[in-house]
Amino acid sequence: MSENKYWQGFGEFSGKEEYEQRIQNEFQEELPFEEKNDKGWLDAATPRRDFLKYLGFSTAAASLAAGCKVPVKQAIPFGNKPAEMVPGVAKYYATTYVQDGDVVPIVAKVRDGRPIKIEGNTLSSFTKGGTTARAQASVLDLYDTNRLTHPKRKVGDKFEEIPTFEQLDQMIIAAMSGVKNPVLLTSTITSPSTKDIIAKYPGLKHVQYDADSFTGILLANEMCFGKKSIPSYNFSNAKVIVSFGADFLGTWLSPVEFSRQYVQNRKLKDASFEMSKHYQFESFLSTTGASADVRLTHRPSETGAVVLALYAALGGNSTAPSIDKKLQTAIDKIASELKANSKHTLVVSGSNDKNIQTVVNGINSLLESYGTTIDWSTTLNCRQGIDADINKLVADMESGEVDAVMIYGANPAYDYHAADKFSAAIKKTKIAISFSEKLDETSELCTYLVPAHHYLESWGDAEPKSNHICFIQPTIHPLFKTRPFQTSLLKWSGSEKDYETYFKEYWISKIGSSIAFDAALQSGVLETATTNSTTKAFNSNSITSAATSISNSKPNGNIELVLYQKVSIGTGKQAGNPWLQELPDPITKATWDNYALMSMSMAKELLGVNLANGTEKEINKYEYFPEKPVVKITSGNKEIELPVLILPGMNAHTIAVAVGYGRTKSLGKVVEGVGKNASIFSSFNGTSTDYFSKNVSISNTGKKYKIAQTQIHNSYEDRTEVVKETSLANFKSDPNQFKKYRDDLAKNYAPLTGDYSKEGTLYSSHEQPGLKWGMSVDMNSCVACGACVIACHAENNVPVVGKSEVVRYHDMHWIRIDRYFVSDKENADDLKSVVFQPMMCQHCDNAPCENVCPVAATNHSTEGINQMAYNRCIGTRYCANNCPYKVRRFNWADYMGADSFPNNQDQKLVGVLDPVVHQMNDDLTRMVLNPDVTVRSRGVIEKCSFCIQRVQEGKLIAKKEGRVLADGDAKTACMTACPTEAIVFGNVHDKESRITKTREEHKQRLFYVIEQVHTLPNVNYLAKIRNTDELPEVEHHEEATH
Amino acid sequence: MGLLRYESQVRPPLVDGNKEYHQITEDICRPVESKPTKAWWIGFSISLVFLIFGAVSVTMEVVYGIGQWNLNKTIGWGWDITNFVWWIGIGHAGTLISAILLLFRQGWRTGVNRAAEAMTIFAVMCAGQFPIFHMGRVWDAFFTLPYPNTRGPLWVNFNSPLLWDVFAISTYFTVSLLFWYSGLIPDLATLRDRAKKKWRKLFYGITAFGWTGSTKHWQRHEALALVLAGLSTPLVLSVHTIVSFDFATSVVPGWHTTIFPPYFVAGAIFSGFAMVQTLLVITRKVLSLEQYITIEHIEVMNKVIILTGSIVGIAYLTELFMSWYGANAYEGFAFMENRLNLNSPYGWSYWIMMGCNVLSPQIFWSSKMRRNVTVTFFMSILVNIGMWFERFVIIVTSIYRDYLPSSWSTYYRPTIWEIGFYMGTFGLFFTCYFLFAKYFPVIALAEIKHILKRSGDNYKKKMDKLEGQESEGFAKEHAHDHGA
Repeated sequence: MSENKYWQGFGEFSGKEEYEQRIQNEFQEELPFEEKNDKGWLDAATPRRDFLKYLGFSTAAASLAAGCKVPVKQAIPFGNKPAEMVPGVAKYYATTYVQDGDVVPIVAKVRDGRPIKIEGNTLSSFTKGGTTARAQASVLDLYDTNRLTHPKRKVGDKFEEIPTFEQLDQMIIAAMSGVKNPVLLTSTITSPSTKDIIAKYPGLKHVQYDADSFTGILLANEMCFGKKSIPSYNFSNAKVIVSFGADFLGTWLSPVEFSRQYVQNRKLKDASFEMSKHYQFESFLSTTGASADVRLTHRPSETGAVVLALYAALGGNSTAPSIDKKLQTAIDKIASELKANSKHTLVVSGSNDKNIQTVVNGINSLLESYGTTIDWSTTLNCRQGIDADINKLVADMESGEVDAVMIYGANPAYDYHAADKFSAAIKKTKIAISFSEKLDETSELCTYLVPAHHYLESWGDAEPKSNHICFIQPTIHPLFKTRPFQTSLLKWSGSEKDYETYFKEYWISKIGSSIAFDAALQSGVLETATTNSTTKAFNSNSITSAATSISNSKPNGNIELVLYQKVSIGTGKQAGNPWLQELPDPITKATWDNYALMSMSMAKELLGVNLANGTEKEINKYEYFPEKPVVKITSGNKEIELPVLILPGMNAHTIAVAVGYGRTKSLGKVVEGVGKNASIFSSFNGTSTDYFSKNVSISNTGKKYKIAQTQIHNSYEDRTEVVKETSLANFKSDPNQFKKYRDDLAKNYAPLTGDYSKEGTLYSSHEQPGLKWGMSVDMNSCVACGACVIACHAENNVPVVGKSEVVRYHDMHWIRIDRYFVSDKENADDLKSVVFQPMMCQHCDNAPCENVCPVAATNHSTEGINQMAYNRCIGTRYCANNCPYKVRRFNWADYMGADSFPNNQDQKLVGVLDPVVHQMNDDLTRMVLNPDVTVRSRGVIEKCSFCIQRVQEGKLIAKKEGRVLADGDAKTACMTACPTEAIVFGNVHDKESRITKTREEHKQRLFYVIEQVHTLPNVNYLAKIRNTDELPEVEHHEEATH
Repeated sequence: MGLLRYESQVRPPLVDGNKEYHQITEDICRPVESKPTKAWWIGFSISLVFLIFGAVSVTMEVVYGIGQWNLNKTIGWGWDITNFVWWIGIGHAGTLISAILLLFRQGWRTGVNRAAEAMTIFAVMCAGQFPIFHMGRVWDAFFTLPYPNTRGPLWVNFNSPLLWDVFAISTYFTVSLLFWYSGLIPDLATLRDRAKKKWRKLFYGITAFGWTGSTKHWQRHEALALVLAGLSTPLVLSVHTIVSFDFATSVVPGWHTTIFPPYFVAGAIFSGFAMVQTLLVITRKVLSLEQYITIEHIEVMNKVIILTGSIVGIAYLTELFMSWYGANAYEGFAFMENRLNLNSPYGWSYWIMMGCNVLSPQIFWSSKMRRNVTVTFFMSILVNIGMWFERFVIIVTSIYRDYLPSSWSTYYRPTIWEIGFYMGTFGLFFTCYFLFAKYFPVIALAEIKHILKRSGDNYKKKMDKLEGQESEGFAKEHAHDHGA
C-alpha cells in the first residue's frame, strides 16, 4: 500500500527546500522595519520614531483613499500599538504658535501622528483660547511643499545639499574660525532659553530687527520711563479708547489679547447701555477703524499734529500746530470726554515715531491711565527690535567690519527699507547662514542654509509678556532634515548638547522639578504672579522737545502713502500659505493681491471713476467687473504699479498699500505674481522707520488688473431685515426697536399661539425633542479678524480654489464675514459705520434648500442641523439658488483631487486651475486634511455643517461616559477660534447652556436674518450698536410684511 | 343642388392648386424618394458641425465639471436652465396643434401638424439635455428616478419641483412621440407600397407595422388619435406649468410668483408657434410645398402669435404691478431694479424681452403683415429671441441680486462651452429635422387627403358640376351606380 501524500501546491509536492523554509517563516515577506544592512528604512537613524511618521503618512493616504475610491497606496498596521495611541482618536498637545514676535498659546490636534488643527489654549490668561487667522493657518505651513528639506550650501549660483549635519557642522566651524564680529540677526526673540543660548555664544552680537518695528514706542518709553520696553495694555478697563492709527484689533502688538479685552465692554445685554467708546484716528480704513464708534481721518504726516492737539486740548503744556477744523472740533470733544473718564481711558498710537509716542505717553500720563489701563508691572515683549541697530549692521557689513552673519526669522532683503543696500552688504560678508524654513529673499543671498524646524516640530518657549511663559513641544517628528537653530548655535559654540536637552535642563532648573516641568508643558503655559507692581515715574521733560520736532514737520500738500498690514498676511512671513492668501481681507473682501486703497474723491480726480455720484452705468462698470484700474505709484526713484480699490472712509489725500506681498518665487508658485512689494516705500527718519511716504505721485496707466473679491456690493441697501445696526443713542431711546419687529411678525403670522414657527406655515411642524443646536453671532463683538474662516478651512477640509477661481466667484468658504459700509448720504466718502456679519449656513428649520432637492441629498436632522449627504448629491444647484443666505458652495471643479475622474485638474481652455490647487493636492499638503471630514468631489454642493463631526464626537464622549451632554462638549471650529467670543454654539434645549443664556440675555439685540421669509434659522444675530449720539433724522418704521 | 355644396365662403381653401389624391402622394413623397438636394446636404452638414461642437462642449463639462461654465456661487443656473425652458416652450406648439386643434376640429392643422409634432419631439429632446447635463454629477442622474433600490428607505424627494419635471417631461415626451408615430403609420405604409429598393421596403415595411389600410385599421387609428389627443391636451398645459413651478415654488424674489403657470403656458405656445413658423417658412420653400402649407396657414398661426404674445405682455405688466402693489421690498427690487432699470447690469435683457415679445408682435394686427412671408419669418426669429431672453431675465436677473447684498454677483456671461452646448442643441434639433424631412413625409399625407374631400380646387370643380345639376338628375345618376 503506497503512502498518501497530502499536498496543496506543487511547491509542497516536490518538497523543495526553499518552500520548506518559506512556510516555516511566519512573515513571508520582509518586514518593513529594518533592512539587512542594518540601516533603518530611508536611512533614518531612529526607525522607531520614523515609524510614527510613516504611519501618519500612510494612514492619511489610506483614509483618503478609502473615502474617494482611489487605490490604497500603503497601509502599515501597528504591530504593537503604543499604549497612549488609539487610531482615529485625536490627541491634543499644548504648544505655542510663534511667528517672529507674535505669540499665541495653542493646542494642536494630532490625528494619527499628524497635527491637523490649531485650537487656542484656554489656560492662557491673556489670549483665553483666542487665536488669529495666522495661527490657525500655521498648521498648513508645516506641510508646505516649498520648505527646505536639507541643509545646503551655496556653490557658484546654486545651492548644493549637505548630506549630514556632522559635515555641515564641520564646514561651519571651519569657516567660522577666525571671522571677526559674527552677528546673529533675528526678528524679535521672546524665548528666554534661546536668549540664554545666544548670550553664551562667544563673541556673538545679537541684532533684532522687526519688519513692523515698534522702535518709536520702545525709545519713547526709554525716554519717559527709563525702560526700553512696552507696557501691557488693558482695553477692558477703558471707557474711552482713542487710537491714533493703532490697529490693535488686527495687527498691533497683541491683537488676540486686545480684542478679547476690547469686546468686554461692548456686549450690550438687555437694559444695559454701558459700552466703551472708541475713537480711531487714521489715514486709511483699518480693521480696527472699522470697529470704531467714531472715525476721523488725516494724512499720515499729520499724526503728530493730531496727537499734539489732543495733548494740548487736555491741558498739556504745548502749542499744537493748526489742524483741520473738523479734526480740531473732534479733538476738543474727545478731550472733554477723556477728562471726564480719566483713569479709565486709553490712548494708543500705531506710529513708529519716537516723538509721537512720547506725546502719547504724555497724554496717558495726564489722564492717569498708568495703573488702570496701562500696566508697567507686566511688559509686552513681542517687539524688541530697534531700527538703528540693523542700520548699523548694514553699514558694518558694507565696510567689512562684519565677516559672518547668521539670520533667523528676519528677512531684511525683502522688508528692510533699504533692502537693496542690505542685499549688497550681505554679499561682502565671508559667511552668511540662514536658518529660514523656506528659501526666502534673504536666504537666497546666504552661503549656508540650515533650515530650522517648523514650530509644530520643535521644542521651545516664549515669553510674550513678562512672567507669562508659553511652552512649545513637538507634535510630530520632523518631516525633513531640519534642525532647531538653537541646536546649531550650541554645536557651533562648542557645546555637545542639543537644544532639546538644553531647553529641558534650563526649565527644570528654573521650575524646580521635572514633574513640575512636565505639568507646565502639559498645560502649555506657566504664569507667575507679577513681582513688581509699582508704576513707573513719568518724565515729562521729554515732551517739550518731542512737541517741537513734531511742530517742525509739516505736510507738504502732496499725496501721501501709508503702508499697512492685512490681518491675513501681516508682514508677509506666511505669504506662502494658501489659506491666508485666500482669506478675504475684512475690509476690501479681496483675496490674493495687494492694491492701492483710495478714496472716492481721489479716484474721481485721478482715474475719472466717479463712484460717489456718478451714473449708475459708471458705478456698475467698476463694481460688477473684476478688472480694476492700475496706477503707477512713484516716490523718488521707487515705483510700482498696483491696481486700485476704491473705499469709503479713506483720507482724501492718502493711498494705502498692504505690505507682505510680491514675495520671491522661491516660496513656491503659490505666491508667484501675487501683489507687489510695498515695503520699498518705507524710510528711515533718523531714529526709526516710517511706514508712510509723504510725497508720492500717482499716474493712471490705463491698464486694468483683475482683483478677486468675494463680495462686490458694499451697501446693505437699507435692508434692515438683513442687518440691524444703530447708534447707542437711538438704541437707548427705543431699546425694543429690534424686538418689536420680531413681535410684530409673531403677531401677524401667529395670532393664536404666538408661535411663529408653528403657525406661520401650512405644514404641520415637527417635534424636536432632545438636542437642538443653535448658534448666536454677536455683530458687536465681531472684529473681522478672520480666525473663524481659517479654522473652518482647516476643520472641514474646505478647498482652496486659487485666484482665477475666486475671480469667477467660485470661492468655497463655508463661513464668510459679510461687510457692509454705512456712509453719509451726501458724502459717500464719509464712512459712518462698518458692519461685520459672519455668515454661514443658518440651519433653517424651514429650509428652502431642503424641499427643492430632487434626491433629498440635503435634509434636516432631528437636532435641527441641515445636513448634506455628499454621496447622494447630483449637483443640480437648485438648493444654492433657493438659499436666501447664499451660503451653499458648489464644487465647480475637482479642487480636492476627489473626483470620480482621476487627476482631473488639467483644464485647458476654461477654468484653468492655479498652481495652488495642485499644491494643495500634493501628498504632503494633504496630510493636513481632517480625516473626520469627507473631501468633497467635483459636482456636489457643500456648506457649513455646524461641525457635525465635532457634534457627533461630543455626543459619543458623553454617551460613553454615561452622562447627559454638557454645554461645551460640542463646539464648532469657528466658535473656538474666535478671540472675542462673538460666536456661541450649543444646545438650545439646555436651559443652562451658554447659547440659551446668550439668547435670553440679549433679547433686545437678538434678530434672525430675513426672518420674514420664514426660514426659521437656528443661527441668530445680535445687532450692532455704535456708541454715538446720532439719532436718525426720520423715524424708520419697519413693516412686518412677508 | 347648390345646398349640397359644403364649402366655407369665408375660409379660403386649405390646399391650393388643382390637386388630385395621386398628385398629393407624388408631391409629398417626392422629397423622400428622390436623392437629397444640395441644399439638404449643406444644411445637414452645418447641423452636424453644430452637433459636434455641442458634443465637445458637453464632454468638457462632464469631464471637468460645471466650472467649465461661468456660473458661480450666486448664479447657480444661467444659460443651462434658460435654454432648457426655452426648448421646452418650443416643444409646445406641436402637441397643441395636433391635439387641441384636433379636438376642436380645426381642418387647417393638417398642413402643419406633422412638422410641428416632429419639432416638438426634437425640441423636447434638446430641452432634456440641459437638466441632465447641468447636473454636477450626471452619471448619478438616475438618482432622480423612484425605483426600488438597495439603499434602504432612500427615495426621491417628492416635494421637489425638479422631480416633478422629471415626470412631466418624460410623460410629455412619451405621449408626443406616440402621437406623432401613430399618425405616421398610414403614410409610412404609402411609402412602403411605393418603395422600389429593397432597404426602403424593409425600413418602411417594419416602421409601417403592417398597415393595410383596411377600414378596421382606419377605425382604430382614428380612435387612437382621439384618445392620444385627449391625453396630450392636459399635458400641453401641465408641462410648462410644472416647469414654472421650478421657479414659482422657490423663495427667490422674482421667481416666487403665482402668475407663473398660465404665463409660462402662454409663453410656451407663443414661442412654439414662432418656431413652427420659422421651420415651415423654410420647409415649404425648400421642399416646394407652398400649395400645402399655404399663406392661410401662416396667417392663422400669426393670429395665434399675436394672441399669445399679448397674453404674455399682460402677464409682464401684471407682474410689474404686483411687485409694486405687493409692497414686498425684495420683490420690488427684483422687478424695478434688476429688470426695469435699464442702467442696471442686466436691464438691457429685460428691454430686449419686452421689445421682442410684447411690442414687435403687435405688427400682426395688420393682415397684410400676417400674410407676408418675409415679415413672418423675421418676426418668428424675433419672438424666439425674445422668449429666450424672457427665461434669461427670469432666471438670472432674479438670482444675481437677491436677499443679501453681500452675495450679489459679478457680471455673468457664458463661456465658450456654455454657448457650445446651446449651439449643440441647435445642431441636434436640425440634424433630426433634416433626417426627418428626408426620410418621413413632412406633411400628413393621409390627413391632407382627408380634407381634400371638402376643400381645395378639385373639390370645388366637382361641386361646380354638381351645382348645375338638378336634384332629380343627381338622384338618378347615383341611384344606379353604388360603389362606382
